[in-house]
Amino acid sequence: MTSLLQLRQVTHFYGNVCALRDVNLEIEPGAIGLIGQNGAGKSTMMQILLGLIRPTQGTATVLGHDVRTAGIRLRGRVGFMPERDSILPGLNGIEYVALAGELCGMPRRQAMRRAHETLSYLGMEDARYRRLEQYSVGMSQRLRLAATLVHDPDLLLLDEPTAGLDPEGRAAMLALLDTLATRPGKSLVLSSHLLGDIERVCTSAIILNQGQVVGKGRLDELRAQRQQCYQLHWEGDATNFLAALRQRGVDVQVDNRRDQARAIVPDGWKTRLFFADACEHSVLLTGLVPEEEDLEAVYHRTINSSEASERVAPRSAV
Amino acid sequence: MSLEAVLYRDWSGRLRPSWLACWPIARTGLLLVLRRKMFWLLLGLALLNFLFVFATIYLKAQVASQNPGLARFVDRVLSNVTGTGETYRDFMFAQGTVTMLLLGFAGAILVGDDMRQGGLTFYLSRRISRWHYVVGKLLSIGLLVSLTTTVPALILYVQYGLLMDSTSYFRENLGILRGILGYGLILSITLSLLLFAMASWLQKTVPLVMSWACIFVMIPALAGLLRRAFDDRNWQLLMLWRDVRLLGTWCFGGIDTDRELQLLLPAAVIVLLVCLLSMLAIVPRVRAVRVVQ
Repeated sequence: MTSLLQLRQVTHFYGNVCALRDVNLEIEPGAIGLIGQNGAGKSTMMQILLGLIRPTQGTATVLGHDVRTAGIRLRGRVGFMPERDSILPGLNGIEYVALAGELCGMPRRQAMRRAHETLSYLGMEDARYRRLEQYSVGMSQRLRLAATLVHDPDLLLLDEPTAGLDPEGRAAMLALLDTLATRPGKSLVLSSHLLGDIERVCTSAIILNQGQVVGKGRLDELRAQRQQCYQLHWEGDATNFLAALRQRGVDVQVDNRRDQARAIVPDGWKTRLFFADACEHSVLLTGLVPEEEDLEAVYHRTINSSEASERVAPRSAV
Repeated sequence: MSLEAVLYRDWSGRLRPSWLACWPIARTGLLLVLRRKMFWLLLGLALLNFLFVFATIYLKAQVASQNPGLARFVDRVLSNVTGTGETYRDFMFAQGTVTMLLLGFAGAILVGDDMRQGGLTFYLSRRISRWHYVVGKLLSIGLLVSLTTTVPALILYVQYGLLMDSTSYFRENLGILRGILGYGLILSITLSLLLFAMASWLQKTVPLVMSWACIFVMIPALAGLLRRAFDDRNWQLLMLWRDVRLLGTWCFGGIDTDRELQLLLPAAVIVLLVCLLSMLAIVPRVRAVRVVQ
């Protein structure tokens, strides 16, 4: 399968500030989440993927187009939805979306027809002749999405598409993105602080921290990278049982009031060992639940481990 | 499959060359200006002068054909409309005053808002380069200038020729046509670049109008004072509007004094310098991203 994005040792500086550092990525088509704190380099990466800025070092190809040399051609196949602004006050909805189509190279008549279709698809038929400055935040976001979709791009770059939306609007937007993400031939890169949004829409994620990629891959793979963790429930005196587990290298965090504990097991752990120790120390195990890690936990774990390894690196260098 | 997925339709078609996107940009700019009532008022003012000259030409033609005896008297009274290059140059110069006002107020809408409200991101994230955007915006300003200066002057030229002796007038006064187009081009290019540069930096209407007034009112006033104080005509070169007019006069082939001839080259250099500086000022403003602090 052809790669959707391919970044090779991409570094970008704004003056002395390094926004992206030695980024290597190869992502297949699909719905990809871009996660990171403010200043992590998400917007810079978006701009590079869009061919708007040239990386200081390295090469990047998107949909097979080199961002350095084929920026215009690339933008014909990519739709970009900025986080906010990018509205032209004085125009109405249909003019705005049709203009976006024309700027993408569509003939005027087709751009107008397509603008009507796209706005209808996004449920904005009634508001299409309203001036942009009269739109609510939710409608503006949908309008921006319409302008992104008008030329039917293969790749959607969405920067915080749910920013400023109320819960209902957010749910509607996510449902739309979810639908688009499942369409054949469509890929999207969704940049968001709201990890729940990414979890809902995306199948894989890129985690950025201080301009570096600290985690990437399918969401289930990212979750699998953690140490295994279980919730244990029991009946009876478990003092010896827990001591035995600790001897085996299990990190046990006990909640005494509820006869339960959280156990982080070492690599190569076999679940039956829980039962063997429980049996040996006459403890009745009433519950053994593997802990599910959500994207937020994955994100924090990845960021923490990357920062920890950065702290260690200088020491080992000395 | 959800209802949305059914409704969404793919689009396939041949995309046009990117440079054709300049026109939608220019058209949208004009549309945004013409949607404001204030600009219709200013255009109305520009129209008044045009209608006056239009009516004068018509009156002279009518009198000349129906009462030749009265024609000399009318010619003497309305001596500023003679169908020569000077007539059109003065007309375009006079129209320029309203054009100045129009541009001062339109700058924020045409360019400033794009910088302030993220319109630039909207444009640059499409299938165009920043130069297409710049050309599109310059085209919209240039069209606005032409709409109040070159186009009415051309209409008056055609009207004069049709109402007078058509064949000989058009044949003998081709230089006037060149003059109108040349002066119009100089006006459009200079004002477009200057307005784009200023609006991209100042962005809001009030500072833009103040700076615009500074260039076209304050500095000329100062230049006038300096000229009188030092008794040196070279100070006039600080008047950009006058420099443009001098170049316009040259386009009409109307430079006949040595003084004007001496000032022509410095005036051209100043206008060129203004255009060059404006272009240099535009470049950093149309970059795709702002430097992150």
